[in-house]
Amino acid sequence: MDVANASPDGSMVDAPPSIIPAAKKPPNLSAALQVEQQLMRLPFEGFKKQVRVNNRVVEKEMNAVVAGVAEASSKSLSQDEAVRQLRGLVSRLQGLKRKLDEGNALEQSQAQRCRARIEHLSLNLGDKDSQRRWETARVDRILVDYMLRNSYYDTAVKYAEATRIQELVDVDVFRDAKRVIDALRRGDCSEALAWCAENRKALKKSKSKLEFQLRLQEFIELVRGEKMVEAIKYARKYLAPWGQSHMKELQQAMATLAFKKDTDCPSYRVLFDCGQWDRLIDEFKRENYKLNCMTPDSLLSIHLRAGLSALKTPFCYEEGCSKEDPLSQASFRALAEGLPFSKQTHSKLVCSITHDVMDADNPPLVLPNGCLYSRRAMEAMAEKHHGEITCPKTGFKCDFSDLSKAYIS
Amino acid sequence: MDIQGMDDAFERVAKKQKTTYAKTNEVIEKLLENIKQAEQLAGSSPATGEILGGLQAKVNELGPQGQIAGAQKELAGALSKYGKLLDKSFTTDVSRACRNIFKSCQEEDLRQDLLNEVIAQHLFREGHFELGESFLQEADITIPDNMRQPFLEMYQILEQIRQHNLEPALEWARAHGPALRARHRSDFEFRLHQLHFVHLLHAQGRAPALLYARAHFGPFASTHMADIQRLMGCMLWVGKLPASPYADLLAESHWDAIAAEFRRECCCELGQSLESPLKVTISAGAQALPTLLKWATLLAENKLDLNVGKHLPVEIEMGRELQFHSIFACPVSREQSTAENPPMLLPCGHVLCKISIQKLAKGNSRAFKCPYCPQEATVGQCKQVHL
Repeated sequence: MDVANASPDGSMVDAPPSIIPAAKKPPNLSAALQVEQQLMRLPFEGFKKQVRVNNRVVEKEMNAVVAGVAEASSKSLSQDEAVRQLRGLVSRLQGLKRKLDEGNALEQSQAQRCRARIEHLSLNLGDKDSQRRWETARVDRILVDYMLRNSYYDTAVKYAEATRIQELVDVDVFRDAKRVIDALRRGDCSEALAWCAENRKALKKSKSKLEFQLRLQEFIELVRGEKMVEAIKYARKYLAPWGQSHMKELQQAMATLAFKKDTDCPSYRVLFDCGQWDRLIDEFKRENYKLNCMTPDSLLSIHLRAGLSALKTPFCYEEGCSKEDPLSQASFRALAEGLPFSKQTHSKLVCSITHDVMDADNPPLVLPNGCLYSRRAMEAMAEKHHGEITCPKTGFKCDFSDLSKAYIS
Repeated sequence: MDIQGMDDAFERVAKKQKTTYAKTNEVIEKLLENIKQAEQLAGSSPATGEILGGLQAKVNELGPQGQIAGAQKELAGALSKYGKLLDKSFTTDVSRACRNIFKSCQEEDLRQDLLNEVIAQHLFREGHFELGESFLQEADITIPDNMRQPFLEMYQILEQIRQHNLEPALEWARAHGPALRARHRSDFEFRLHQLHFVHLLHAQGRAPALLYARAHFGPFASTHMADIQRLMGCMLWVGKLPASPYADLLAESHWDAIAAEFRRECCCELGQSLESPLKVTISAGAQALPTLLKWATLLAENKLDLNVGKHLPVEIEMGRELQFHSIFACPVSREQSTAENPPMLLPCGHVLCKISIQKLAKGNSRAFKCPYCPQEATVGQCKQVHL
């Protein structure tokens, strides 16, 4: 016993907290966190984009001002002209300073989002209470993500506010996308084309066909409106540059000039189909997700598919399936349709009376009629009824001493 | 990779962001000052050529573009480092791995109408009534009234319990008394009365409490005599209950406990699970995903094709709270038991599948040795076990 820890009367007092903490390994990211790529990546991409935009503004303005100085000094200007020129440069620089401050504020708020998410991750490694908070927030995050992807914006925003997870979901990214999607719904490609122009470099890198498809659709709309001359002009200007990589589609589209909108020919009728707009919307969503490092499928779908198969056993479909099992419900069964069953190579016993898992501490006991329950349940029953056991499944009665052990490995 | 490391890496980014801003700002200020000076000079002196030449020299000396580019480059470096750290720490394409696993059995994504239905139910049962209504409207779906109204009532009663008003809960228990008793849950009813009695005694004194006890404790005499006696003992300590041997009855935790119990009983009466099934499934998914992803990467690295048949390719270790069924896997054949191939108890207490036992006995009635202990048994001695 450490004498220093004993109080004068000899009794032990609580050991004071050690001054030097035991060498502790930093907590590793638990496996569960590895799937949170979107959570971390999305605000970071936003941050990076903001930095890029700001840098470009500074660079451009700075070059212009320096060039302005060089130009002024190279020419022999009159006094008035020189003053006017210099005044112009001053106001340009003042404008840049304002832009720099605005940009800085945006960068800071983006950085704050990134930081909030790192903090949020650490909840998962905390105590039981923070674990619970993490799990609740996970459900909320996943649902908001699903709502945003499916254009239920109002509910998504209200949800994020009500559960105070605004910093953990990315409403802004979807708000930008909403503008494009709304326009496409109205049959207007301009917003989408502007978006393509904004992200040309990244889209080219990923070999995106979106811009071509948008151009194609605009062309088809001209043909639909019987504006053949304009259509040909349009094709020359906007479709021809894609000839090298998309010749086949291009040729097919050009042939619509001959077939017109009421054609019965199936390979051209499909081009006039109004469903093309929905396909464009889907394609845009896909590209937008890719560009922002988001998963193509909603987080909800990913989690549910994995979860449903992990939970799915033939017993879920038997009568008397526990209500707590999601697969006892019709809607969840319908969702799980076609998904694989879980694989079970080890026995897991759950007592049908107490719903406790049976293990070495609470081993299974077998009644003479073959029914199996946990020892804890049997002991509780025996205590209540002076040693008599009644099988809840069959009504069979016996004495506690009639039970035998079962070893299930 | 740990969170601290990630935090540090990000703080480096944040610091560089600040210094880049400061540097850029400083350079702009200096340049501005120089040009302003030149402007003033040019206004008062006709030697424009000289002034502009001087300004040019100053700008050259300052080298504003180079200074700013240098700062920006440092920020870019920190950003790229943090980006790489993210790539290393997280699975880059969860979605693709998930699709690969399920592609052979489910081509399409989950049905949107079903997803909307389970989400709407989740919102109402978790008490998000306004959100639920908003969601129904935006998703343009309806759900049956019995998925809404009962939960609304439940949350109203829970809110009242939170405010230490047990009346609505007591009324609920009265209305559902027969059902509670049929499920052997009359204990819950008694706990409600007990809490209300203590609350009355503490807040209003002896007389109302006694009246309440007379009116409500009678039916519980046979089952809760000891509790009732203890509660009667409380009567002697009115006014100084917190310092009495009965102080524990006043604990705030009783209110939380009764709220939790009410929730359980209410869900049970409604034929609903205690936990939201959507939440349970998402938890299960979160537990299953790391294993599934690991497996998918492993196969992809070895260029093997994923072909998931009727069962997932790997066993997934799930938390106890997610085990709803007894599963017997024969320790010999590793196969799951079925109605045709049930688990059988050997006289020694070990349990094997029927088919495994038949194989061990080689189809005849001769005794065979248990694979797990020296004891022998015959097929006839083995008894089917019902899990």
